[in-house]
Amino acid sequence: MTLPPRLRREHLAVPVALLFGLGSLAPIVVLAVLSVFRVDDFDLVPAVSARTWIELAGTPIYAVLIGKALLSGAATAVSTALMGYPIALALRRLPPSLKGPALVVLLTPLYTGEVVRIYAWRVTLGAEGLVNSALQALGLTQSPLTFLLFSPFTTGLVLAYNNAPFMILSLWVAAETVEPRLIEAARDLGARPLDAFFRIVFPLTLPGLAAGVFTVFTLAAGEMLTPSLLGGTSGATAMALIENLFGTAFDWPMASALALALLAALFAVAAAGAALVLLSRSARAVLWRAP
Amino acid sequence: MTRFEALTGVRVRESYLSSDDAQFAALRTGAASDWDIVNPSLNGAWRYVKAGVLKPLDLAKIPTRSQMYPPFASTDKVKGQNGATYAVPYLWGLNPIVYRTDKIQGEASYATLFDPKYKGQLAMRDYALEAIAIAALHVGVPRERVFALNASELAEAKKALVAQKPLLRTYWQTIGDLTNLFATGEVACAFSWRVPYDELKGKMPVAMAKPKVGIMGWCDCFAMPASISDEKAELGYKFINYLLGPDYASQIAEKGNYATSSSIIRDTLSKEKQADIFVDDLSVMDSFLWPIAPDNYAEWLKVWNEVKAS
Repeated sequence: MTLPPRLRREHLAVPVALLFGLGSLAPIVVLAVLSVFRVDDFDLVPAVSARTWIELAGTPIYAVLIGKALLSGAATAVSTALMGYPIALALRRLPPSLKGPALVVLLTPLYTGEVVRIYAWRVTLGAEGLVNSALQALGLTQSPLTFLLFSPFTTGLVLAYNNAPFMILSLWVAAETVEPRLIEAARDLGARPLDAFFRIVFPLTLPGLAAGVFTVFTLAAGEMLTPSLLGGTSGATAMALIENLFGTAFDWPMASALALALLAALFAVAAAGAALVLLSRSARAVLWRAP
Repeated sequence: MTRFEALTGVRVRESYLSSDDAQFAALRTGAASDWDIVNPSLNGAWRYVKAGVLKPLDLAKIPTRSQMYPPFASTDKVKGQNGATYAVPYLWGLNPIVYRTDKIQGEASYATLFDPKYKGQLAMRDYALEAIAIAALHVGVPRERVFALNASELAEAKKALVAQKPLLRTYWQTIGDLTNLFATGEVACAFSWRVPYDELKGKMPVAMAKPKVGIMGWCDCFAMPASISDEKAELGYKFINYLLGPDYASQIAEKGNYATSSSIIRDTLSKEKQADIFVDDLSVMDSFLWPIAPDNYAEWLKVWNEVKAS
């Protein structure tokens, strides 16, 4: 089929791009409008009130929860990157016939539902769970290690586990494009493996790392179920507060303002990070090379 | 329901709702035009009454109402300012403390939930309304006022909750979640619903406690939309009358472990069954506490999140 001459292939992206753009913009506009409304006896009354924004700025707990979301996103991005590189580089060296099965295995955690995984973690890490039973049977501990479950440690571990596939996938794809002869040449010229990694592999996979970091950061920062069901008393999240404000409290304006503030904070951190990575010399070298 | 259908020749069709809020919204916006009977909670009935979405009821048409327990028959929560009654309480239960008798000494009370002796074995529901009310009871706020705290009482409750936090194993989210926590030995005492007790009795030594200082209850009511036709309203009265009668009460006591608001079959039940559905000792009704979100609930949410982030 030939397309009319004026319509180029790139234009095929327009309908989906429009849908995406509107789909992301419309809810933001709705939130912005709601955030200045008033609530009167379970009725949303159109108004222009700065109440929610003043309260948002003047109440530390909102900032604390937003900060916690950013921190959780960043920590998960770092931990998945640290464990992602060795795995991605190993996958790159697999014989082609094993790469398909490896992909399937890599994505296995994503096939099960989140709630199922959460209860599986409880069975594994609980006071009477697999890990504690094994440790006690081996005589390594006398009583159950209670920090394994219902602690910030648990949240960190599970967020890293849940999000690792996204990071590994991005790094793996990037690593596949690294010309093996470059690494061989570096080694021939006397670079130690770590030198070769930091001077060849790392710069060339930087765009992949950036994609992984942003995906994992956003997913982990917005997580609500894992912290609340596995994080114990430390599981408070901005997301859960937003849900409560929309629900029982019926304070839609406050919920909208908090949701927008969280979004803005996530966007600011992600954008700053993206700028930092993509403007670096090595990323420019990869992304702006001639096709 | 089949019994009622056989008696009257009317078919009952049910719609399912996710929450009281959703039902209220449907009535307000007119999305509920094909409903003849609605199901507000006793605590939330006031907003339906205030919004004028319910039909004032002719109580003479509900003769089985005569055997309702006094706290349900006389409650003001279903009445409008004009004195008319808009809803009839029919099904209720209590939110007890559930505890392991092998791990907790004596009968549990709200103080148990704040007792450092049981560090790491306690759980509270992740729900500002109930958690703050329990802390208020614990620090000595009288029952009548725990859902209308002044600023200093709210601060006192918060202090108690902050002190309680390190003693807790976790905050539970859903009742299935809490049942799992009991079953796996993570938790020995929690502010609860009755579900973990029903699921686990016989498997482990569990008991329910109903603190005299105030016990939180829930209660569902029946009501009719204001727009209902006279003809359908007659059927509605018959339906409400049936639900307060002996047939339905026996079935729900047997199958669901719940009591209706009527004493109609109480004396025919075994002592054990009476205890199971909380009607063995009727003095429990003197301690009823119906949770109701205060006007400044957003403030409570803030306090609760400050506790959780402390």
